Amino acid sequence: MEGLLKLLSDGHARTVEMLAAELDTSVSDIARKLEYLEIIGVIRRVSLSNGGCSGNCSGCGGCSGHTGDGKRDSAPCKGCIPDEGFKNMGVMWEVV
Amino acid sequence: MSTGVTVALLGQPNSGKSTLFNALTGLRQHVGNWPGKTVEKKEGSFTHKGKEYKVADLPGSYSLSANSDEEVITRDYIASGEADVACILADSSQLQRSLFMLADYAGIDVPCFLLLNMSDVAAEQGKKINAGAIEEKLGIPVIPFSATDKKSYDVFYEALGTVIKNKGMLNVEKLNTQYESIIGYREIYELIPENVIPGYSAMWIAVKALENDKVVMAKLRAALDDQTYSRIEDAKKNAQGAVATGGCKFAWIDDILEKAVDAGDKKISLSFLDKIYTSRIWGKPAVILTVLLGLIASFIPAIPLMIVGSLILAVKAPVMGVLSSIGCPEILTLIIGDVVIQSFSYIFKMLGFVFGVTLVFGLLEEVGVMARISYVFDNTMGKLGLQGKSVMPFLVSFGCTMGGAAGARVIDNWGQKVLTIALAWAVPCGAAWATVPMLSTIFFGPGAVLVIVAVLLTMLLHMWITAKIFGAKLVKKEDRYGMIMELPPYHKPKWGALFRYVFGRTKETFIRVTKVIMLVCGVFWLLSYSPSGENGGILYTIGVAIDPVTRLFGMPWQLFLSYVASAVGKEGAIGVISALYNGGSYSAGFMDAMNGAATAGNLNELLLANVSKPEALAFIFAITFNMPCVVALAATYQETHSAKWTSIIVLYYTVVSLVLAFLAYHIGLLIW
Repeated sequence: MEGLLKLLSDGHARTVEMLAAELDTSVSDIARKLEYLEIIGVIRRVSLSNGGCSGNCSGCGGCSGHTGDGKRDSAPCKGCIPDEGFKNMGVMWEVV
Repeated sequence: MSTGVTVALLGQPNSGKSTLFNALTGLRQHVGNWPGKTVEKKEGSFTHKGKEYKVADLPGSYSLSANSDEEVITRDYIASGEADVACILADSSQLQRSLFMLADYAGIDVPCFLLLNMSDVAAEQGKKINAGAIEEKLGIPVIPFSATDKKSYDVFYEALGTVIKNKGMLNVEKLNTQYESIIGYREIYELIPENVIPGYSAMWIAVKALENDKVVMAKLRAALDDQTYSRIEDAKKNAQGAVATGGCKFAWIDDILEKAVDAGDKKISLSFLDKIYTSRIWGKPAVILTVLLGLIASFIPAIPLMIVGSLILAVKAPVMGVLSSIGCPEILTLIIGDVVIQSFSYIFKMLGFVFGVTLVFGLLEEVGVMARISYVFDNTMGKLGLQGKSVMPFLVSFGCTMGGAAGARVIDNWGQKVLTIALAWAVPCGAAWATVPMLSTIFFGPGAVLVIVAVLLTMLLHMWITAKIFGAKLVKKEDRYGMIMELPPYHKPKWGALFRYVFGRTKETFIRVTKVIMLVCGVFWLLSYSPSGENGGILYTIGVAIDPVTRLFGMPWQLFLSYVASAVGKEGAIGVISALYNGGSYSAGFMDAMNGAATAGNLNELLLANVSKPEALAFIFAITFNMPCVVALAATYQETHSAKWTSIIVLYYTVVSLVLAFLAYHIGLLIW
């Protein structure tokens, strides 16, 4: 686990498969450890939907630039991102 | 009737607890809330062989840490003695993961047994589980089970009877040995008297103390004298924490499963494509090639809309001819021809590229290639001093810089956020992808591909240099982290959703672009219009005055004004070109063109006649790397909350775009 965390913190991107290969273990072992590290708050999942804009954030200007009418609109910009964000971008985590 | 035995069902979410609970109790169940909590409390009862049993379906949770109310309720309920037996459920199809609950339970002094639920699913996956071997190591009954299969309930009742009779406790010896390897564990363990918190062993409490479990620490503070409690706090300071205890639990699980589970593991190996994409040597070239091929491929779906654009241009001369012949005022004829028809011709040609690029890159995202691209770029992100998630604002910026700037709000570190936005500006946005290929095609024909390649390479270099310039001030080295990515499997695209997105985007772009181009084209055309037909108009006077300076950057005044307009929106540049090269200053040439003169059959040729290739190249680089648009500027201010940094970024991009124009022009002079 410490070895995994060390790899996660060294500034290089890795796939789960690469982590498994480097630590000489299985993908499912890495997956369960990532789940644990996420639960204890050491790593966190990266949101891939509309820049993480849920529309509830204060100070959010929304996407008024796209509606063109100057109205504040916190819905995802159709012109920027597919509806409901990127679907097939995999799962990304980062060290907190 | 005796109150009977109480069985607590314990397991992670989706371990099948509720199915078991419903099957055992049928209609004999009631649902309420745990006292003082909003957590649902499900209790019921059943009778087996004349004996009454109470069942508590405890809230599903990952573990028994104090991360949530559910977890605290679960462990306190069991340890309180209300439950006589804990039935722990694990998902047989993923025992490595789901036995974590058992590992976290170890040390709670209540008899238990383990149900390897969904054993049918595990069997279908080719997993062979030797429950006997696991039972031997754990010292409690371990039974393969399927909560949905009524037949397997006999073994459940049998195991329940055995545990009640033998009061079988989980063998935690080997787990304790694992914990001994943790720095600080032994010291804390020895400070904890047995039964200091009823129901929990000293081992369990010591581990929770290492994990900094606030509920346990509060109970210890209440139960221990001040001196002992401070010694525990002191020991914790130099001790390993939850990462180490979790590691021990996983190691213990692996030990239990060793030789007991034949996972029928098909060795997971990377697909051929993934081997290339994740290769340290070939990853980057592969991604760059993919992006280039994607851009080239996007010309194909662009063709129909480009033909529409050409057809619109083809009707311009006849329409203007008709308007003239019916005595329409000249200015109106020119506005309809030069502003409206000309603009729509450009708009449709641009839309062709927007449609093509969105379709091809949407498709790459759908099939899973985009994830690989962002993975490969992540290493570059690290080198630029950014977090992995900066990839997303950059990707979004290919569509719209404003989206990219807004997307940067997921980056918590302010410096990295500002740097991400500053770099996102260098990514050519959708409007640039619409104007640049179109202009490149006009001036360079098939060589447009090379121009686009040069633009992309310049973008990378620009981002690298910008990161070096701004990075030192904005990002500290210790703020930089790696990223972990689970690459999605490749799969067939969902065409319906993809086309909805592509058409939606094209439509949005059409509306926005039409407004900008018509407005900008109209205003600039009017400013450059000269009723006499001779060179004149306000813009002409200003233009001629600034021309010596603008030519330093390789741009005649008309192109320079288009460049200035591109700061409002890249589409605006097209509007200005359209107006200026059609307007007063070139009205004579234009009239020839309109009258069907062979030398200047359309505006493209008019442009070619008036703008040299080096000038065109300078202009393309200038507008591509100019500030994206005023909306992106507003979004940048909104996200950075810094007028200073927003101004610095604007100034920087203006200077850099002019320097790039200068360089492109001089390189162009060497070539042509």
